[in-house]
Amino acid sequence: MNDLLKSLNIAVETGKRAEAKRLTQSLVDSGMKPLDIVEQGLVPGMSAIGEKFKNNEVFVPEMLIAARAMKEAMIILEPLLAQAGIKPKHTVILGTVQGDLHDIGKNLVGMMLKGANFGVIDLGTNVDPEKFPAAALEHGAHVIALSALLTTTMPAMKTTVDAIRASTVKGIKVMVGGAPISQEYCDQIGADGYSPDAASAVDLALRLVGETR
Amino acid sequence: MSATRALLACDVFLDEIAALRDRAGATLGPVAWLEMGLHDHPDRLREHLQKNIAALEADPAVETILLAYGRCGNGLVGVRAGRVPLVLPRGHDCISVLLGGPAAHEAVLREQPGAYFYSPGWIRGRRVPGPDREAWLRSLYTPRYPDDPELVADLIDADREAFAHQNCAAYVDITQDAAAESYCQACARHLGWTCRRLPGDPSVLTALLTGPWDDTRFLVVPPGRLISASADGRLFAT
Repeated sequence: MNDLLKSLNIAVETGKRAEAKRLTQSLVDSGMKPLDIVEQGLVPGMSAIGEKFKNNEVFVPEMLIAARAMKEAMIILEPLLAQAGIKPKHTVILGTVQGDLHDIGKNLVGMMLKGANFGVIDLGTNVDPEKFPAAALEHGAHVIALSALLTTTMPAMKTTVDAIRASTVKGIKVMVGGAPISQEYCDQIGADGYSPDAASAVDLALRLVGETR
Repeated sequence: MSATRALLACDVFLDEIAALRDRAGATLGPVAWLEMGLHDHPDRLREHLQKNIAALEADPAVETILLAYGRCGNGLVGVRAGRVPLVLPRGHDCISVLLGGPAAHEAVLREQPGAYFYSPGWIRGRRVPGPDREAWLRSLYTPRYPDDPELVADLIDADREAFAHQNCAAYVDITQDAAAESYCQACARHLGWTCRRLPGDPSVLTALLTGPWDDTRFLVVPPGRLISASADGRLFAT
């Protein structure tokens, strides 16, 4: 593997923003395609820190600085992706359910989805149930992704799924995640898929839109 | 002689249980404490609970295990005992228990979604958002990244960002601990949050220790059955 790419993986994983920006620029200058830089340079670094978080080797701040490093690199790459005519094939509406202000997990999922070339419309936190189907309609989205961190706000996830199903948006897929969420709960509330972490959220979204990696 | 009740509790409740146990005249058999904060990793919490339940029920004198827990990020869902019944309060977490039930807890959050709850136990851990958290993080990260003070500063800044959506330190008071309450006020000042004192309600914790366990406030899980949760959040045994 390209040494620069490997260094970029490590810069993202360890949250070294300046280093991640510098290496991204070097890779751009070397003529590498921006989408390849995202997929081979940034995403593996985020996946690696995500794995360590899951195994309890690192805490939330390490995840956050890695996400910041990836975000800075994406600032360089996004205009180049647009210039190259790389348009996301699928759009995801993303948000944390009503009453819940937590956004770390949601933001990580958004970042990983962007890294996999999904269009991401982030509605933020504490989002009213009706806003999800409305945004899906407006943006022609294929997937709605819901996050909840608290058992106190889990019922709002069910209310949101109900609001989506009762709306005029037909055939849209709903994916759910967050610390207290499980596959069992996903099935109970009639969502289409559950993902335990940000990296597998990408695989799930791809599966829901009928694509595989 | 009454049946021997073992207690498996989160150590966030140390102060409240110490105060209520004698007041209520509760007779307990073996007591096991687990460290607070395990709910951050619900699978780990479940694993620890399961291991400790097995150890407690291996004692033939134990006839019931009381769990001083709530759903705790659903770490309690999927837990079971083999030989004895489990008893646990219905509620989201320690805050529901200290406020006397999930309804009071939900009412506070509905009114103030940015409330972050403090109690003597959480304050003892000194990891609550506030002046000492930064020092704790520094002591955690400096040995890990001794040559990179910039990275340590970044990590501390990122941690602050993780609490950016909170705006109120809500102190749940059962033990009338003036020092803990004043520490909570200091945290609020440090963070630029408002501070609010919520009178705790010891009835749930007291009834857990003494019984009886009415179905409205408690789940009694028969031996061999699993703690489960329905979509509306109600706990039941399967």
